Amino acid sequence: MGSRLVWSLLTFIGWSVAAVGQDPAAKPSFVPEALEHFEKHVRPVLVEQCHQCHGPKQQKASLRLDSRAAILKGSDSQLIVVPGQPEKSLLVEAIKQTGELKMPPKSRLSDEEIAAIEQWVRDGLPWPDEAPPSDVEAARKHWAFQPVRSVQPPILQSASTLEPLFGNPIDAFILARLETEGLKPAPVADRRTLIRRLYFDLIGLPPPPEEVAAFVEDESADAYERLVDRLLASPHFGERWGRHWLDVARYANERGYVGVNVDRTYPFAYAYRDWVIRAFNEDRPYKDFILLQLAADQIVTGPNKHDLAAMGFLTVGRRFINNQQEIIDDRLDVTFRGFQGLTISCARCHDHKYDPIPSRDYYSLYGVFASSREPEELPVLEPVARGPQTEAFERELRRLEEEKARFERENEAMKRERPREFSEKIKPFENRIKQLHAQHPGAPPRGMVLLDAPKPMEPRVFVRGNARNPGPTVPRQFLEILSDGERKPFTKGSGRLEMAQAIASEANPLTARVFVNRVWGHLFGRGLVATPSDFGTRGEPPTHPELLDYLASCFMEDGWSTKRLIRLLVLSRTYQQSCEGYPDGYRKDPENRLLSRMNRRRLQLEPMRDAMLAVGGDLDHSFGGQAVDFLKNPQSKRRTIYGFIDRQNLPGMYRIFDFASPDTHSPKRYETTVPQQALFLMNSPFAVERARKFAARLDAEELTEPHLRIRRLYQLAYGRDPRPDEVDTALAFLETAEVEREATQLSPWEQYAQVLLMSNEFVFVE
Amino acid sequence: MKRSIPAMEHLTLTRRELLHRCGMGFGALILGELLRTAGYVDVAQAADSASRHNPLAPRQPHFPGKAKRVIHLFMNGGPSHIDTFDPKPKLAEYAGKTLPFENLKTERKTGAAFPSPFKFQRYGQSGIEVSELFHHTAQCIDDICVIRSMHADVPNHEPSLLLMNCGEARQIRPSVGSWVVYGLGTENQNLPGFIAMCPGGYPIQESQNWQAGFLPGVYQGTYIDTKHTAIERLIENIKNHHLPLRQQRRQLDLLRQMNEEYQKRRQEDAQLEARLQSFELAFRMQMEASDAFDISKEPQAIRDMYGPGTQARQLLIARRLIERGVRFVQVWHGEGQPWDSHDDLEVNHRRLAQQCDRAIGALLRDLKQRGLLDETLVIWGGEFGRTPTVELPQPGANAGKVNGRDHNHWGFTMWLAGGGVKGGYVHGATDEFGFQAVENKVHVHDLHATILHLLGFDHEKFTYRYAGRDFRLTDVHGRVVKEILA
Repeated sequence: MGSRLVWSLLTFIGWSVAAVGQDPAAKPSFVPEALEHFEKHVRPVLVEQCHQCHGPKQQKASLRLDSRAAILKGSDSQLIVVPGQPEKSLLVEAIKQTGELKMPPKSRLSDEEIAAIEQWVRDGLPWPDEAPPSDVEAARKHWAFQPVRSVQPPILQSASTLEPLFGNPIDAFILARLETEGLKPAPVADRRTLIRRLYFDLIGLPPPPEEVAAFVEDESADAYERLVDRLLASPHFGERWGRHWLDVARYANERGYVGVNVDRTYPFAYAYRDWVIRAFNEDRPYKDFILLQLAADQIVTGPNKHDLAAMGFLTVGRRFINNQQEIIDDRLDVTFRGFQGLTISCARCHDHKYDPIPSRDYYSLYGVFASSREPEELPVLEPVARGPQTEAFERELRRLEEEKARFERENEAMKRERPREFSEKIKPFENRIKQLHAQHPGAPPRGMVLLDAPKPMEPRVFVRGNARNPGPTVPRQFLEILSDGERKPFTKGSGRLEMAQAIASEANPLTARVFVNRVWGHLFGRGLVATPSDFGTRGEPPTHPELLDYLASCFMEDGWSTKRLIRLLVLSRTYQQSCEGYPDGYRKDPENRLLSRMNRRRLQLEPMRDAMLAVGGDLDHSFGGQAVDFLKNPQSKRRTIYGFIDRQNLPGMYRIFDFASPDTHSPKRYETTVPQQALFLMNSPFAVERARKFAARLDAEELTEPHLRIRRLYQLAYGRDPRPDEVDTALAFLETAEVEREATQLSPWEQYAQVLLMSNEFVFVE
Repeated sequence: MKRSIPAMEHLTLTRRELLHRCGMGFGALILGELLRTAGYVDVAQAADSASRHNPLAPRQPHFPGKAKRVIHLFMNGGPSHIDTFDPKPKLAEYAGKTLPFENLKTERKTGAAFPSPFKFQRYGQSGIEVSELFHHTAQCIDDICVIRSMHADVPNHEPSLLLMNCGEARQIRPSVGSWVVYGLGTENQNLPGFIAMCPGGYPIQESQNWQAGFLPGVYQGTYIDTKHTAIERLIENIKNHHLPLRQQRRQLDLLRQMNEEYQKRRQEDAQLEARLQSFELAFRMQMEASDAFDISKEPQAIRDMYGPGTQARQLLIARRLIERGVRFVQVWHGEGQPWDSHDDLEVNHRRLAQQCDRAIGALLRDLKQRGLLDETLVIWGGEFGRTPTVELPQPGANAGKVNGRDHNHWGFTMWLAGGGVKGGYVHGATDEFGFQAVENKVHVHDLHATILHLLGFDHEKFTYRYAGRDFRLTDVHGRVVKEILA
């Protein structure tokens, strides 16, 4: 009780000091405790008990109780509160139900609720400063909502004293900022470092030693540029960059918990994954990339149906035991955090607290997805690419269909007379056919599409996110904050295509910025905006706002080409600098936000696992297809992107190596260091097998001389030759291991090879 | 204790030596603070950053909490409170008759009052009544705080499991154990900080029950199928089948030498050091984890105390883990939903209790005799309780038998012991039939707020920024149940 007294005293003083000499209607400032009291104990009561009749939908007696101003204004006939004086306030009398007016009409608030409101009136109606939802103009001032500016690279003072700039505009922005901080960039990295960096960044694989040697010896001025172009053209490019996108798309091969003994797999999720990889390889303009993922069903009209696979973006999410509102929320979230860097899910229960996204807008977009549906049978992605398994599949399909037809023929009487029994009995035949379509490696892929419902629905706001409490109807339309001029409701079907067009637009201030920032983050280890999926007012501001705009506008002008964007970034001197900077940089900017050096980055799960396969010479380079379950096939040589992702019970390997959680959209990967990672490399059957293969490669290449063998291992694992002391260390290890050979099933060379695969130099990219 | 003044030698170490000693951040954060005060700013930063790279380094909560560790005994399926810790003699009066009020709505239709077939008896100094099912557990009743007024939101397993574990019934949210390890780290770097044991396979909702949600994956519970006994079947990659430890040690020595050489040629980078240390930890983990799960190392008297069977084994393992500094151990009764007695309640509840009662009693006594109970919070309960009325026969549901109880989220019992709760104490009550919590009601959110409080966290300030919002375990709810604090 004592603390409560002190608290009310404080809030009272807090308010009265602020309010002295002010117009009582003017809004005083309140101490946080009083605001907290309001948020916790008063606002929920107003929303749940009063707003239905005195809120946005209805204003009985012309009274609204959803803003401080409205409450001060009172009803059509009288004032209802006297701030600071609950005993003189009709509102308090009404809820106490002591007088004539009794509110709420059919029930009574609890004593605690009444006391809370009384206290709140006594405190002078504390109410937080809220941008009224209509005040979009004020909110537009946030940098991310302003149009992308066309910016010129700054002119540098000391440029001449630095190494040549390669004529890349990015460097001007970075150097100008370093200059103001009195810092200078690190020297350019050596060739071996650069080729390893480029290989992992662009295709996610280590450079073969022959390539390293050729690049180091190539003295021509455009050697680096040609290397970049070659890697951008590699079919492995899409496997690397597609995987980045699959993090955004919370890609998985199953739907999460939907009950016991229910098949959860998404047999055709792989078609989406393969589409994404191809889209990066073919450098589909990002604009089309957006449109197809959100509305391919309304864009694909010709005979080529492959782009229908793009809609997996919306449909590969978790299914929340088939709860429709959760499914739609997940689709809204992946769309808006993914493409717009906006956390619109916050507006599901109330207006967004920090960004100008009213709850109405959430439900406008909710209506778009609620007006879309998934077809019973997914469309085949025609024309079907015939593979070696296609015929086997077709044969099997014919066989099963004949079996089914035979059963029908032989049981015509049953079909006529006992249709229920018949439909039970025929089910196994149908299921076998269904299964064949889903599982046979020769079965044609299908697109996990959404289609417009025959009749779009009119969305209503769910008050406090509760579907059983529908509020006002809202039109299906785009976000107000991102709409220029008068906003028009969507008119074509669900409006999904119109929504997609509003996103994939040069006029949208967020789309290009969010994407170029993601690309930047993948190449530099940290985005210019460090919160890649939150560009709202609570996100991190950009470290280099002009650069971000410069890149965004170049990107749009250059036909939304991802490859050309990446090319521009990796050709910068900033990208090519060493990880070893000058001491000043470490002191003044320990987090390296200003990029006075390159960031050293640890390989993520996929490039690490792929590299372990690659150095042993047994990486399977084949493209696409049905997912491989690495739990069942731990020695699979497929690239990691082709693994089966079980979101419900994500296998340990994914979890311990910070894989992007497939539960919801993932803005960026966590980076943790835990001993379970080491255990995987020390003990897992996969790691042991890789060590064996790595060592076996030496025998296959008929290298017998220990020095040459060690050198080869170094070249494969690190892209460099060993120093003499390293050779000595290796020889000493091998010698002792040889002595103890009987005790183990791993040869000295296998043990040694494993050490290289575990080492920091192998898993860090400089 | 960790806040004592560092010895001078610490301050004269080179930065590299220092980091080496801090290892994966045993107290590195605090050391960082001390060094900063002592003017060693860059060394302090390096130490901080080494510990930042170890998400499991021990950390201090908001205020000193009485509980340091948690064991959550999860009776999945929903044990009946009326048959265990919440006696309702009034039901006998109404046996076979309808209750004087309409049955509350639960998952299925229920009928007449169904008195408990089990005998209740007073135990301990406190004289709290417990049924014969938990006779052994009841011997420790003076250390137990029984909350008879729990309530949840809906009468279905899935949402109730998620609510109990993650504080939210449908959406992706971190589990209590993940929050706790995120907040406190863990005291033994050679073992996972959060372990979920369930013999035979997953409970309903599977690993979502111990999910990390939007927290980094390292905070997720490590699942262990305690049906198995061989260590390599319990913890992934804990053993190398091709290389004896001696040879592996030599491998790691070479690795350390190469990693140190690599580091020496570069500017300080905490992530390099952290990764180097992680191999040392992993090496020790192989021994430590094998040891922790090997109950044959326990004296016969202790094993006898816990009794035979899988439940006894996993509870004894739980104690061994807690003793070694594991932060949060969740022990599930079994795969699926064993306590879900829609029919044959008497037979099923008796069988289930027989499997675990003795071991639970032993666990409490064992913790106490080792002085661990004061700092270990033990939680017992299911995702909800069961109806005081009999479940009506339904085709395909309860085999047409009329001798079981339906789910009941309106009122049920959970109990806490140790870790700063009042022993020998009953909090709250259900109505005279045990259908609904009526007195001093405790919602699952309140329980969570209280658990966090016992561990030293203000549940309203313990947040994680994700997707534009500061999330809490208790969302916008929760009240610390002060009455049960010792």
